[in-house]
Formats: sequence, C-alpha cells, structure tokens
Amino acid sequence: MDKILYLISEGFKNIWRHKITSFTAVFSLFLALFFVGLIATAGENTHKILQYLRAKYKIEVFFDQNVPNEKALGLIHQIKKINGVRTVTLIDKEDALRIFKDQFGEDIMDILGYNPLPVSAVINLVRTSKIPVKAAPIVNKIEAMDGVSEVRYQGSLIRKIEYTYYRILGKLPIVAGIVILVAVLVIYNTVKLSVYSRKQLIATLEMIGATRTFIKMPFIFEGFFIAFLSSAIAFPALLATIETGNYILANFTSWGIRLNFDPIIWIWLIILSTCVTALGSYRAIAGILK
Amino acid sequence: MMIEFQNASYSHSKGNGVNNLNLRIDEGEFAFMIGPTGSGKTTLMRLIYFDLIPDAGIVIVGKYSSSTMTTRKIPIARKGVGMVFQDYKLLNDRNLFDNTALPLHALGFPAKEIIDRVDEALDLVGLESKVEHLPLELSGGEQQRACLARAIVKEPDILLADEPTGNLDPVASFELVRLLETINEMGTTILMASHNYNLIKGRGRRILEIKNGTLRGA
Repeated sequence: MDKILYLISEGFKNIWRHKITSFTAVFSLFLALFFVGLIATAGENTHKILQYLRAKYKIEVFFDQNVPNEKALGLIHQIKKINGVRTVTLIDKEDALRIFKDQFGEDIMDILGYNPLPVSAVINLVRTSKIPVKAAPIVNKIEAMDGVSEVRYQGSLIRKIEYTYYRILGKLPIVAGIVILVAVLVIYNTVKLSVYSRKQLIATLEMIGATRTFIKMPFIFEGFFIAFLSSAIAFPALLATIETGNYILANFTSWGIRLNFDPIIWIWLIILSTCVTALGSYRAIAGILK
Repeated sequence: MMIEFQNASYSHSKGNGVNNLNLRIDEGEFAFMIGPTGSGKTTLMRLIYFDLIPDAGIVIVGKYSSSTMTTRKIPIARKGVGMVFQDYKLLNDRNLFDNTALPLHALGFPAKEIIDRVDEALDLVGLESKVEHLPLELSGGEQQRACLARAIVKEPDILLADEPTGNLDPVASFELVRLLETINEMGTTILMASHNYNLIKGRGRRILEIKNGTLRGA
C-alpha cells in the first residue's frame, strides 16, 4: 500500500518538480482538447443552422380565380397531407387585398372596382428532416391538383442549401478525424518529450534496482494528472467560448439560434486525453528502458 | 555474497571491454581495482550488476548467473548490490532524504522503516543534518557521501564503487575510503575501482590491476 501511495504521490510531485515541462504539456493538451471539443460542439450544432434556413423555405400556391375560400380550404387539407409539408397558411381574397394595400399603398378595389386577387396559400416545409428536403416533388403534387393555378418557390436556392449542408456534413467526420488525429499526436509526443527529458532519472532508477513497473507507474500517474488538469481547463474554456457565441448570436443576429454544449463531449475528452497520455508515457519509457 | 568471473569477455562496439576474465571476490572481502582510463574497470563493474551480459563466459553474483539472467530478473539481482558512481548520479530535483530513500521505495519498504533506515544511513555518512538539502547545495564530497548513503541504505551484500574519489580532493577521498572500510567491517563485500594508487596502497587489501581488459594479480 505504501508503495502504491508513493508511486501516486511521485506522479503528482513530478508535475511540481518539472513545472515548465508540465506547463507545456498541460497547455499543449488543453489546446488539442479545446479544438477537438470545438469540432464536436460544431457537429452537435450544425443542424440548428440548417433548421434556421429551412424555416425560411416557402412555397406559394395561387389558386384559380374561381376557387372560393371554402374549396381552397379543402385543397389546403390535401396539401397538408403531402410528405415534407410542415404548415400551410391560407390567404383568402380579403387577406390578399390587405397584403396588396400594405405592399403597394393602394386599394385595388378602388382602382378596378373588383378584387382580382386569387386565394393563395403559403407552405412551410419540414425543418427537422434527417434527409435532404426536396421541394420539387411537393410542388409537382400541388401542381397536379385541380384548382391550382400557379406555384412559386425558390427551387434552386433550396437545392443549393441542402446540397451544401449535406456536403459539409459528409466531410465533418473527416475533418473531425484529422483534428482528433492531430490532437492525439500532439498529446502523445508532448508526453514522450516529457519522459525523454527525464532519461537520467530512469537510468538511475534502473541502476538502484527499481522494477520496470516501479519506473513506469509515476510517469503514467503523472500523465493521468496532466490529462485531467488539461480537461478540467478545457471544460470552462469551451463553455465560455460557446456562451460568447450565444451572446453574439442573440445580440448581433436575428437567427434565433442557441448553441448547445453537451457535457458528454467533455467526458469523451477526458477519456481521449487519459488514454493517449497513458499510452504515450508507457511507450516512451519502454523505449528508454533496456 | 561472492562474485565470480569465469572466462568472461565483453566487447563494446568501439572495441574496448574485458577479455577472458577469471576472478573471484569472496563474501566480506574489500578489493581495489586499479587501471588507467579505458582499461575495462567500468565494464567489469557493469558486468557485476548485470548492466552488461558477457559475450562469452559467465559472471556469477551470489545466486545469480549471467547465463540465466533475464530482463525481469535484473532488478531482483540488483537488490543485493549497491553502487557508487564518480558522477554521483543523484537526482537534483529532490532532497537528500528523498534521494536516499529511493531504493527503499523501489523495494517496497514500509514508510516507517524507510525513515529509520534513511536516518541511519545518513548518520553513518555524516549527513544527518542535511536531509532537506538538494544535491546541488552540497559539496562534491558530501554528494559522494550522499551517493554512498543511497547505496548502503538497502543494506546490500555487495557494494561497487566506480572511481568514487575521481572528483574529490585528497582529504575527502581519504575519508570516503575510510567510510567504505567501516561499511566493509559490517560484512559488505566491496569492490572499489580507482586510478589513484596512492590512495589504496598500504591498506592491506587485495589490489586487482586491469589493463586492456585483462586482469593481473587476480
């Protein structure tokens, strides 16, 4: 028991004994973990940007002039049943008059003596679909309905947004993989350098009859402490960054997006850094020991 | 614990080493080894603590033989061997107490016994008042005595001293040899390498002369 306590305390004391090396290691690990955390958080939140954009997708349907409000309501019920449609808002002839007056400042009834504006509807598409939203099939179904005169929508814009989002989403794992790999290499090599800087200690321990386990354990414990310390700093740093992002989004944009930080990401960061530092320490010492 | 070399040879890549050594140092003996730089003194010492394994022949240290030595067995074999080096090899980032206690921690001694043994060892070498000092706060002679305290704290059967007086002035050198003699009187087998003949002559001890890796007077 005394031996285990000694090895743990040595691991902890080594951090204090080699302050500059430890600081460098903690800082490098912190940076690596911070960027991995940011990428993970970005992955967690990209769908919110898409949802914001999808909320802007709009299909306008104009019914034939002879379609009364009642028949338009029936058509709207049919449109609501189409897969991919989230909401449908009816704009009856009276609403159309009011909108016209708001937009152009003139009452068309005074000019023409009758209301030539047709009943129309505004359709919003689903926001939370996990697959790309396609407006064209919905439009085709609406156009095939009896009583529909014209359908207007931003087909090419929707296609571009959906295509770009899913392209980014497809590349995100690759980018995240590269960032994690770089982080792992940074952590691994930082720990290795830290061990190599104490070759004399290892040689002396070997000469006084210390076993390989006795030599390795303080370095591995030291690695654990450094990993934990770096993760402990990375957590508030990530939180602060995300809260700053939220402040900017809330005060300087009208997007209505709020970024989330999932603490599970932090748990993963601890596991990642602990495993890599332990492996780095172990392999570095194994390389020095005869 | 006795030391025995049977036709043992070892060559370094540079060409130096030891050649067909036959030597026996009995339990409780204090032997000196003398020879110029590069004659093979350090190689012989390293063969005794199994830092090197002979290319040919056998080295036997107590119940351990180089012929059956494995990486796992080396720390166990070194339990009974203490070492003193010319350059001390003290750890500059920890105080005298921690340096001296290191072998005991490695061997798994309980905390209470470590304190008692370290106090005893430092008392024997006359450094009991400097337990909190870092190595670089000590003089050369004190650092060498600290190195000796670290070597004897685990009460080894064999003590190897490789040019321990190489960096010391004549007075400190003489005091160190006297200290080694005191330790030998307690039953520890000692082999001390030196190239200072004046320091070791007339002490009534066997002197092994090594030249070009070959022993004379063994």
